[in-house]
Amino acid sequence: MTTLLEVKGLTKTFGAVQAVGGIDFSIHVGRCVALLGPNGAGKTTTIRMIAGLLSQTAGTMRFHGFVKGDYGKGKVHIGYLPQSPSFYNWMSGLEYAVYAGRLCGLPAGTALKRAKELLERVGLSGAAKRRIGSYSGGMKQRLGLAQALVHSPKLLIMDEPVSALDPIGRREVLGLLQELKEETTVLFSTHALHDAEELCDDVIIIRKGQIALQGNIAAIRNEHRKPIIELQLEQDEVSIKWFTDYKDRLSRWSDEAQEASFIQNIEQQGAAVRFTVREVDSARQHLLEVLTREKVKVSRLEIGHTSLEDLFMKVVAP
Amino acid sequence: MTSSFTRLLVMVQKELLELVRSLKLLWVPLVFVLLGVMQPASMYYMPLILEKAGNITEGAVIEIPQPLGSEVLAQTLQQFGTLGLLVLVLVGMSSVSGERNSGAASLILVKPIAVFSFTASKWTALLLLAWGSLSAGYLASWYYTGLLFGDVQASKVLGSLLVFGLWLSFAMTLTLFFSTLLRSSAAAAFSTLGTAAALSLLAGLLPKKLGWLPGSLSSFAYQTAVSDIANVSLFGWALACTFTLMAAALTGASWLLRRSSAID
Repeated sequence: MTTLLEVKGLTKTFGAVQAVGGIDFSIHVGRCVALLGPNGAGKTTTIRMIAGLLSQTAGTMRFHGFVKGDYGKGKVHIGYLPQSPSFYNWMSGLEYAVYAGRLCGLPAGTALKRAKELLERVGLSGAAKRRIGSYSGGMKQRLGLAQALVHSPKLLIMDEPVSALDPIGRREVLGLLQELKEETTVLFSTHALHDAEELCDDVIIIRKGQIALQGNIAAIRNEHRKPIIELQLEQDEVSIKWFTDYKDRLSRWSDEAQEASFIQNIEQQGAAVRFTVREVDSARQHLLEVLTREKVKVSRLEIGHTSLEDLFMKVVAP
Repeated sequence: MTSSFTRLLVMVQKELLELVRSLKLLWVPLVFVLLGVMQPASMYYMPLILEKAGNITEGAVIEIPQPLGSEVLAQTLQQFGTLGLLVLVLVGMSSVSGERNSGAASLILVKPIAVFSFTASKWTALLLLAWGSLSAGYLASWYYTGLLFGDVQASKVLGSLLVFGLWLSFAMTLTLFFSTLLRSSAAAAFSTLGTAAALSLLAGLLPKKLGWLPGSLSSFAYQTAVSDIANVSLFGWALACTFTLMAAALTGASWLLRRSSAID
């Protein structure tokens, strides 16, 4: 697999604040990569540095053979869509897409042809001649995609492409991205794990300007997957008392207790109790026995696995 | 080189299209034409206007010497230098800051274009607007002056037009510079008008010492219209100084934009 973008020790400081603190990653040709993190983690700053809109404080980037000094020349191969793109409201969608194409060096005829193709593709051909000022948020985002792709870039960079959209607009754009990622390498930032899971091959989770976890999304899922047992208890005295005692006991004798060999962690979420276990079978056996003995009223017992969401929350938790 | 020149042309076309769509290319020249026609007309009818004003003692004799056509043209230029300049600065004050504040600039600057082309395209459009409006207004004024006061030599008209156009170009370049430097359009307009006024004032107060400042260009333009430029070498220095400052302002604006384009 060839590397398209290689980032090493990328750092950006604004005054005394370090927005991005030395991150390393690389993106391979043809992959769809999500830059995932909570708000304020440094996603936008990273994206803007890669897009060439912001110069880094330290670190190097190599994109498609272009390094430091002539990184700007690589811009021809980058398509960029910011979080909420603004256009010239007095232009029509078609005019803007053509303009974008011409600025990327396409001759007038080719630019017009490509612009029409892409507007068709993003479902804007009906509104191509309308002023951008009259477009809805979703239409603007789709125009943003069209103008970013007009010159067939090798890397499409998007900053929170769906965050500002309503559910319908979000669906539309996600559907488009699903198709587009087959044709080009895609890097986008998001704070929603769901979007990343739906679209991406690889994920880079960042937190406070540092990389918390990165890799193939399926591999991460398998590697960090842990069996869990979820109990739903009725809110009667006996059950509540049992749980409180049990939790106490486990935390006090965590190493000596027999249960500790197969129960790793207990979490309470309202009426539900979640056991992260090392070994499902013995934990299940043990719990069922205890529950019967103590006459705890269980309304539901479920065996499952931790989701990527749990991992994400754990990784980015402050 | 050729491809970046093509991109510059494309960007200039876009700026001109914007001037057309926003009707600026229509109303700004109209303002100049109006100013240009008003000056000779109001000068011609001044005695009549005073007579009709009504609060003049019965029998008072008003004798206003008929001004020369060239003097009327010089006064027209003064109008352009105040009201006309104000209109042009107000039109140009948000040319860069407006796009940066809305975020439209970052979507353009991320494209493989030179930042200088971005600045240069806006500069070209502003200059075309300024020269077009000035020419339209001045020609209208020339025509009416010819009708009401007598002919003025075409060479004088052309000469003063060129010199005064350079002063407006300088002011437009300043507008562009301040529009890049400052986020607020009002602050950009204020700084431009302030700087232009200060330069004119300095050159006017100390013409011998500071006549080489761009601020003296407007008075050189009046001189060209009325008679001839008295101090040719000082005029040469003023020209050199203006061109240098314009180049510096353009380069500075591009540099500022390149440095800070990210903060949008």
